[in-house]
Parts: sequence; structure tokens; C-alpha cells
Amino acid sequence: MPQHKEKGEVAIPLMQGIEALLFVADVPLSVEEMATLWERAYGTRPSSEEVKAAIEALNRVYEETGRVFRIQRWGGGYRLATVAPVSPLLQHYKQPEAKLSQTLLETLAIIAYRQPITKPEIDHIRGVNSDYALRRLQELELITVTGRSDTVGRPLLYGTTQRFLEYFGLNSLNDLPELPELKQLLENPEIRQEHLRLLYSFEPENQESTA
Amino acid sequence: MYRVRLPVFEGPLDLLLYFIRRDELDIYDIPVARIADEFLAYVRLMEELDLDGVGDFLYLAAVLLHIKAQMLLPRPPAETAEEAPAEDPRQELVARLLNYLRYKEAAGRLDACAEARRRLYTRGAAAGAGNEEAIAAPPPLAPVSMLELLGALRKVLERRVHPPDHTVRREIYSVEAQMRYVQTQLQQQKRRSFAALVAGQSRGFVIATFLAVLELARQGQVWLHLQESGDDFLVELTEALSVEETYAAA
Repeated sequence: MPQHKEKGEVAIPLMQGIEALLFVADVPLSVEEMATLWERAYGTRPSSEEVKAAIEALNRVYEETGRVFRIQRWGGGYRLATVAPVSPLLQHYKQPEAKLSQTLLETLAIIAYRQPITKPEIDHIRGVNSDYALRRLQELELITVTGRSDTVGRPLLYGTTQRFLEYFGLNSLNDLPELPELKQLLENPEIRQEHLRLLYSFEPENQESTA
Repeated sequence: MYRVRLPVFEGPLDLLLYFIRRDELDIYDIPVARIADEFLAYVRLMEELDLDGVGDFLYLAAVLLHIKAQMLLPRPPAETAEEAPAEDPRQELVARLLNYLRYKEAAGRLDACAEARRRLYTRGAAAGAGNEEAIAAPPPLAPVSMLELLGALRKVLERRVHPPDHTVRREIYSVEAQMRYVQTQLQQQKRRSFAALVAGQSRGFVIATFLAVLELARQGQVWLHLQESGDDFLVELTEALSVEETYAAA
């Protein structure tokens, strides 16, 4: 906007602007959002290529100068985060987010790979009523109602959210780990035994964060 | 009546998979007759405990009994060559179990993603203390599975040699009272085996105490450790809270 310039505001380097925004933001910011904010402040709109180039340049600088920051791409946006090697130190300052229970993880996995999906379909796969899990996952904003099925009774359809992507460090649903094929799981008897053992023991190391 | 709600409770398919793992069964050749009986024994115990979600187990118990009946029936010999061989009555159940396993495995892979993500710290509310409550899962019941605990409870109940009651006397135990009992016991000795806590007591006492221990575990007051044999488990006080403090907080 021109009046900003009349007030004498001088554009800073785009790189600095992006860095400042990502430093302050507490959610991932999309390229469009950053471009719009820049335009409001300085009257010109950087192209998405310019924004992306600035992000890449920042990450290069962080890496080359040995800084602990990296700009991550999560849920379609960008977010400034620290690198993994400093996490043992940070854990003592700030507890990491709590883990999801097995029930919630399983329900969430079914929704993530099968979305949009109805509650009766989820219940059938799990063999249990999923009311509680669905309610809890909605409270956590990891899933949302995405519509209604055309089948009898028009049940609600559930899908995952942007928050889901960010929570799992994924940029888009294409980044989901591959859904294992049955053959893969069970053809090899050794894998099968190992697999079943892993599935049904609560690994003690998982308790570390809660202990 | 005090009801214990266990949101992290595993479902009927988990119970079947638990048997398969424990007995190292071939998932494609499940001895349904044997499994059905044991499955029902668990369901009866769950009914007695009045746990939530028993209905889901009853449905699968019915499926198992149906399969068992079908497998016991003599099969009519195929009359013509074109007739397709009779379908294994277990087929649909096995397909369901396998499909469920796929998503359990996928859940494990997703958890690994979340684990990696948790190491990357961000500023702001999403990773901050303010949001911890929002994302917090219900506290884990214990580092042992519910199904294993039920197995141990069965063993403890079986082991008790109880003289037949000739005088019919209604025993009423409340979960609240048993929680206080367990806490008092643990004040004296931080770590007790479940069998020791209920030694020589009646079935009603054992069951109410089991529910009390589950509730204490849910509240994070005790840790449960399964004994290697799976016949018993240890109840351990998590921190030195006095009974008064605990009740003030509750």
C-alpha cells in the first residue's frame, strides 16, 4: 500500500522478512500468506518463487553457519524449528507433546489411509465402537467431518486436518508412510513373529516421556 | 455402582491376535474350537468386571461360536467336479484380522513419524506448555496390556482355593473402598503383587480390588508390571502421596 511508503517505511531484504515471520509464527505459514503480509507492509507482492528462494537461502545459511534452525515444510506451510540433535537438551526445558494412545493412533491411521471414511467402516475394521476415539481426535483437531456419505442413513465422513499433517511432520497426504501390504506383513514367518511381538508389547522406551 | 471406563481398552480383534501371538498360532489355521472357549472365558470375566465395550466382544464371540459349529459339522462330499470346494468358515475372520493388522502396522509407522517430529521444537503455542493438555492422550493404563492383566486376573482367580460357601451371604465391595485398601497396603510396602493383595479373599473382593487397581493405574497413582509368567502382576506406588492428599485431589 502506497501510504506505507509515504510514511517512509523501507523494504528490508525479503530473506529477513521471511525469517522474522517464521520466527514469530506459531503455525505453519504458506507462501501465499507470507507474500500477502509482505505486500501489506511494503506494497509490492513477491512471487512465490522469490519467497521459496528466500526460504532455501535461509536454510542454506543456517546449515553453513552451524545454526540449530531449519525451516520445515509441514501441512503445506513453512515453520521454523530446531534440529533433532538439540532435542535432548530442549526436552529438559520443555516437555515434548504427549504421545497419542494406541487406540487414537489406530483410529487415526485408518482415517488417514481410507479418508473420507464413515464411522461404521472404522468400527468394522477395528471391531470396536470408535465413538470415543473419533470424539477425542476431533477435539485434538487431528480429524474433521468432511461431508456425508451417500449410503443409507447418510453417515458423516471423516478426514484428517492440516494439524494432523503438522503433528506427524508431513507436508501432504502423499508423504504418508506406505500402507503395508498383507503379503509384506505375513509372507515371511520370521517377520510375522517379530511383527506380532512388536505389536503387542508396549515398548518400555515409549514410557520415557511420561515417566 | 462405580463403573471403570477404560478408553485405552483393546478390542476383540486384539484379544484374538493376543491368543495367536501367545500360542504362536498360524493365522491361516486358527484352532477356532479352542480359541472360542478361551475367548468366551475372557468375555465372561469382562462381564463380571462390568467393563465398557463388552458388547463388541460378545459379537465376535458369537462369530467364533458360529465358525466352531460350522467346522464341527461333517462336510457333504462334493457331488460333482464342478462344485467349488467348500469355503473355509474362518476365511472372513482371517481376512478381517489381517486387514486390522495392516492398520496397526500403519499406526506404528505413523507413530515413528510423530516421534521424529517431536524432536523438532518450534516456538509458539502448538509445541508449548499451553497446548500440552490439548494433545495429551489419556494416560496410558500401564506398561502392560489390558488383555495380559485380564489373563493374570484369571490365573489369580483360578489359583484361589475357596471353600464352598454354605452360608449365602452377600458380599459387597466397592471400588472406592478397595482403592483405599490398596493405597493403605502400598503405604506400608511400595510394591506388592496383586495375588498377595487379594490372598485368601473372596471372588467379589478380588474383582473389586482388580477394578480399584485399574482405576489407580488410570489416575497414574500406581504402575503395573506384569510378571514374566503372566500369572500375576506387581502394583507399585508411583510417588509417595498420602491417602489424604490423594483424596483431596480426587
